Parts: sequence; C-alpha cells; structure tokens
Amino acid sequence: MKGISHFASGVAVTSFFPWAIQAAQESNPMYFILGGAFGLLPDTLDFKIYRFFYKHDLYIEPDPLKPDPQSIADQLAASVKAASESKKLVRVKCSTIRMGADAWQQYVIKFDTETDEVLVKFGPVVNTGQVPIPGASKMEGEIGRAKIPCKLFQSYDATTRVDIFDGPTFGFASDGKGGVIMHFLPWHREWTHALTVGLFFGIIGTLIWDWRAGAVITAGYSVHVLEDQLGFMGSNLFWPFTRIRFPGLHWMRSGDAMPNFGTVWLSCLIIFYNLYRAMPSSIYHFNLLHVLFYGAVVPIGLFKLALWFVNRGKVAETGPIELEDEWGDKA
Amino acid sequence: MTSALLALFATVVGTVLSCVLSCLPGLHVYNVMGLLVLLIYWLADLGITMPAEVYLPFMSSMIVGWSILNTIPSMLLGAPDESAIFTVLPGQKYLMMGRGYEGTMMTGVGSLAGIFILVFIVGPLAPKLLPVVQAVLRGHMHWVLWVIITYILLSEWPKGGNSGPAGWRKFGDAWRSLAAGLFTFFISGIMGFILLNRSPISTEMAFQNIMPAFVGLFAIPWCLLNIISGAEVPPQHIADSMDVDGSVILRSSAAGGLGGGFAAFFPVITGGIGGLLAGHATAQRDERVFIMSQGVSKVLYYTGAFMLMFVPGLGVTRGGGAWMIKSLHTPVGYGDYYLIMATIAIAGAVSYLIMSPLTRGVIWLIGRYNYRYVSAVALAIIVLLVYLVTSWAGLFIMAVGTGIGLIPVLFASRRLNCLGILLLPIACNMSGFGHKIADLLGLI
Repeated sequence: MKGISHFASGVAVTSFFPWAIQAAQESNPMYFILGGAFGLLPDTLDFKIYRFFYKHDLYIEPDPLKPDPQSIADQLAASVKAASESKKLVRVKCSTIRMGADAWQQYVIKFDTETDEVLVKFGPVVNTGQVPIPGASKMEGEIGRAKIPCKLFQSYDATTRVDIFDGPTFGFASDGKGGVIMHFLPWHREWTHALTVGLFFGIIGTLIWDWRAGAVITAGYSVHVLEDQLGFMGSNLFWPFTRIRFPGLHWMRSGDAMPNFGTVWLSCLIIFYNLYRAMPSSIYHFNLLHVLFYGAVVPIGLFKLALWFVNRGKVAETGPIELEDEWGDKA
Repeated sequence: MTSALLALFATVVGTVLSCVLSCLPGLHVYNVMGLLVLLIYWLADLGITMPAEVYLPFMSSMIVGWSILNTIPSMLLGAPDESAIFTVLPGQKYLMMGRGYEGTMMTGVGSLAGIFILVFIVGPLAPKLLPVVQAVLRGHMHWVLWVIITYILLSEWPKGGNSGPAGWRKFGDAWRSLAAGLFTFFISGIMGFILLNRSPISTEMAFQNIMPAFVGLFAIPWCLLNIISGAEVPPQHIADSMDVDGSVILRSSAAGGLGGGFAAFFPVITGGIGGLLAGHATAQRDERVFIMSQGVSKVLYYTGAFMLMFVPGLGVTRGGGAWMIKSLHTPVGYGDYYLIMATIAIAGAVSYLIMSPLTRGVIWLIGRYNYRYVSAVALAIIVLLVYLVTSWAGLFIMAVGTGIGLIPVLFASRRLNCLGILLLPIACNMSGFGHKIADLLGLI
C-alpha cells in the first residue's frame, strides 16, 4: 500500500486509545504523531535506509554511451542460471541509464515464464518527469532477448519499467527442484515488515516514554505489516524466527487506487467517530453505522455508479508495476 | 432588483479584473483584496459607505476568477503560487510537448468541476453536515496539523543513491536531498517565527506580511531556473478538443475535491498540501487526472475556504480572503449564503469562458518572444510588485525567501517543505508553546 494509507491507518489505530485522545485534547499530540510515524516506519526503514546497505551479487550498470538491451537480458539470464546452479540467493540490481543531466534511457524488463525468456525492451529517452524527449530516442524499440535455462516462478507477474532515479532489484533463489523463484525487491518487506519488530519498537517506546506510547507504536507498526499482507508480495511476519516472506493474500496491488483511497478514507471516518465518542457531551447523536453509511457507502457508491456510467463498454487498463508503488508518489 | 443587478455587475467586473491580476506572476489576489479593504476603510472615513451587495460579490468573484485563471502563469510561465506548485512540472512537460494550451485548459475543466462541486454538492449539504464535523473536530485541529507535518516530513522519496556499491556513500548520497528537505522545512519555520513576531513590514501593510516571503519561496526560484536553463519552447498546438473523458473528470474531481476540501476546512493546511495529500491518497497514475485534480483542488481550497464563512450555523473563518471580509462584514443567514453561491457560479462560468482566449494570449507571447526573456520579464514584474506593495523591507524578505526556496531546487528535494514558514510557527502556537520557541529565538 502507499505510504499515506499506512500513515492514516496508524493514526486511526491510535484514535482507539482513549488516553491518546485525552492527551491530544490537552495539547499533547505525541501519541498521534507516534501512531502515524510508526505506521509508516517499516517502509521508511526499507526505502530510506536498508536498501542503500543491501549488498548485491551483480550490478547491471549499462554504459550510457553504448546502452545494449541484449547485454542486460544476458546478464539477467546468467543470474538465473547462477542461482539454479549454486542453490544460493543471487541478488541483482538493475541500474537506471542516465544519458544526461535530465535524460534517462527507459527500458522494460519482462520475465516471460511461458517462453522461458527474459526480454529487455528499450523505450524512449525521458526526462526526470518521465516525459519522452523528442529526438533523443535513437534506440527506442530495440529488444534484447535471452533464454532462461530453467523454470522460473514469480509471485509478481511484473513487467518492470526502469527509467528515472533508482532501478529495481531481483532476487533469484533455487527452489531445490531445478527451478528458480524470483523475488521482486528482495530487500523490501524482509526484517522490517515483521510483527516481532513492531513489538520490539513498542518495548523501546515504553522505555523512552511510557507503556501507552509503546502500545501505540506496536499497534501502528503492526497494522502496516498486516495491511501489506493483503497484497502480492507478502512479508516476513516473524523475523528472526522465520526467514522468508509469507505469501500475500493477492487481494490488491500496492498501487491500486481504490484500496488506497478506501483505506485513507475509512481511517478518517474511524478517527472522526472515535473523536466523537470521546466528547463529554454533544448536541449531535449518531453511531458508527451512520458514519459509515453517510460517510462511505453513499458517496463512494454514488461515485462508483457514476464511474460505471461513464466507463460502460470500456476495457480496464493495467499498467506496469512501478517501484514507487511500494512507497508513494514522488511529488 | 437594483441590488441584484448591482451584484451581477460587481461579479462580472470582479471576474474580469481577476483576469488581469491572475496573469501577473507573483501577485496574489489577497494582496489586491488587502488594498481594497484599506480603500473601503478610507472611503468610510470620508463618509462614503460601500454597500455589502457590491463589495461581497466583487471580492468573491475576484477570488473565484483568480483561483481559476492563475493556473495560466503557473503552467505556462512557471511562476506558481504555493497552491499551484504541483502544476508547474506537468505544465512545463505539456509546454515542451507543444501542448501547453491543452494542459492549461485541462486545469480549467478541473476548475469548472470544482465550481460544480461547490455549488451543487457542498452548497446544499454544508449547512447540515459541516456544523457536525466542526463540533467534533474543533478541539483537535492542532494535532491534525502536527500529524500532517509529520507526514510531509516522513513521506519524501530519496532522490540519490541510485548506483554504485552498497554502503555509507550510497546512503549519504540518498540522504542529501532528504536532509536538504528537512533543513528547508526548519529554516522556513524559523523565518515564519520571525515574520509572525518581528515582521519588518510596517503595520499599515499588515495584510501583505507573508506575500514577499511566499513569492521568494515559491515563484522566484522557478523564474530563475527558467532563465538559467534557457529552455526552448516548441511551437504550441491549439487543440480543438482535449484528451479527457468522463472517467478522467470524475476521478480528478474526487482527488482534487478531497485535497482541496481538506485544505479549505482545516486551518493552515494550504492548497499545496491538499494537492499533495489528494495525489497520494487517491494513488492516481494518470497524469491527466493529476493535472485536472490540481485545478479542482485550487478552486475548492480558495473559493471553498472563503465560502465556509457564509455557511449558516458553522461559524468558521478560513483563508486570508475571509479574514479580510470579516473585518468589513458579518454574514447573516441564508441571504448572504445564496448571494455568495450565485457569485461563485457566475464568476466560475465567466472565468472559464475567459480562460481560452487568455491562454492563447500567453502562448502567443511565449511564441513571439524567447521563453528566457518572458521569464525575465515575469521576474521583473514580481520584484516590482513586491517593492510597490511592501517596499524595501519586503524585497529583503523576498530575497531571504528566495535563498531558502532555492535549496530544494539545488538539492532536488520537495519544494513544499518551504511551507514550514506557516506550518511550524502556527502548529507551535496552536499547541500552546509557540511563545516559548519565539522566546528561545529572542523574538519576544
């Protein structure tokens, strides 16, 4: 899920603790800040710290003066082969191709499990806003193709686009039966996305502040981990006791609009209702069902109805998986 | 009947005036409204009373017109105010693809959708729903602000550290932009404390206190960047139609409505923050939706915040425009509310009609003269306006603001961090310890 969804969920969970609301009313916003911050922390650790220290076995760094899609495809296929033969996890980093101060050669990587091939196709040269630069794309459409020497399994049926800033990481691990399992972003949702780590941070929070802060921290952190479990990638829920990511429930993709918006909006409604419950007296009277019905069911229902009306007869488009889907927008 | 015609006339004149204002980069509608309020006071001292039926629709329509038409300099000249900060990059993309007209008109359609939301959805529901929301949230605004500050600071994406072996060097490269972002936020915050407690601008110009700082933080760095980069703008295509459909308009309305509405309702949350939150919350990948939603968001933020003052039974004042009007007029019942709603509808429609010829005019200007010269002229206008409105003290504040505003440009960090100028001092004040910080800084 996007960062804002986790953050809002962390704040919403905090609003269930009466002392958090009471403290906020007494001008102390600390518990809500902790709830939101620790709701976002697992991704913060991964994307802002851990990935820069994550060691790779192979760095694919195409030469900007002579970029070659075939070379990228060959190196990826060789990495799959190395994983199959060595029975070890082979970690490969595909770097972006910076052609100038504000120019990046875009390329797309696709692991085709039906034809057992890896395909690398060059797109246009784009600027940092990901807009094609007219006249700069001399290699657009060139394809590199390499045979994968064994069966490849992937939890993310991804077509990965690489263009600006950072490129993706793939982890190739032998399945012990002659095949290779591909892990997308193997540094992500590893130890940071564990319920046990949430508990650990809760204990640290208790030692620094008090047990209330510890409870908020653990709750905020855990809700992030559990929300991510609804997606494809899954998380290593009980690190260090477990070593691999538990498969996700495949209910949604992390960048999907409706689940993200729904989570943020539902969190806002829950916060609103919990604040109402904490009021000593009110001239207005309503319950949670009222809030959910008038705040979510009616407006979202009308919106979906209108969307269906304007979209009827059209086929929904699905885009490639973007690295930033795992984090948030770059704005 | 005469009052109605007078109000209609004031609405149209206010909207047309806003056309001129909105095309002057760096000039905010609140600056002009501040001068108008001073003028009304001056006339009152002379015994001439301006009726509310004239200045209310006049000033309301100026806000509506400006919130719609100010997209033009933001997108085509790259001189945004804070609320349009996210339209500059996509706007320049469209400009560089020869589709500047289409991009601008897309935000125009978004603005029109925003007017529709205000008049036909918010208008009828607000008197029933918003007093309930306000009653529940009244005592919680300060921590909501802190939570949003936390999100802004934590949610920035690292821009560096993209290649090379793992280790501290890579980490340091990535954190350069993040550290610059945090530094920008806190240094802007200190500037905000200074301006709130020891502003060098004279009290007669109280309405303009923050204007030079905002111009320096947001508009001037873009102009400088345009001048230095010397980009060549390709010939622009004036399209007969836009690449949008009902789905794009609906999704933009939802995203922009959410962000702009949130920014309008919560104090100190600006249109830029609303745009950021809406973009993240609705996870829109489609650039058309993003551009259009910024149009929706801006209208809801400026016009919606102003409208809140007139919602019967709500008792909320949000935004500089509303505070200025409040010093002149206390809204009473549904009469004023309907007057404002009608003004918004008419001014919105007139502004949209003006948008196309105005955009063509600016595009002609860009095509006729070198973009670098146009940016230089825009910069000169901004500096001149700041000098005329706030004198040398304002120019000094603007220069300091520019220095801070250039940090995100140089380190590729998020420009919204400059909003620390408002967020930090006001959040501290709302939580009751702002005076302690000001004391610590030696300001009181």
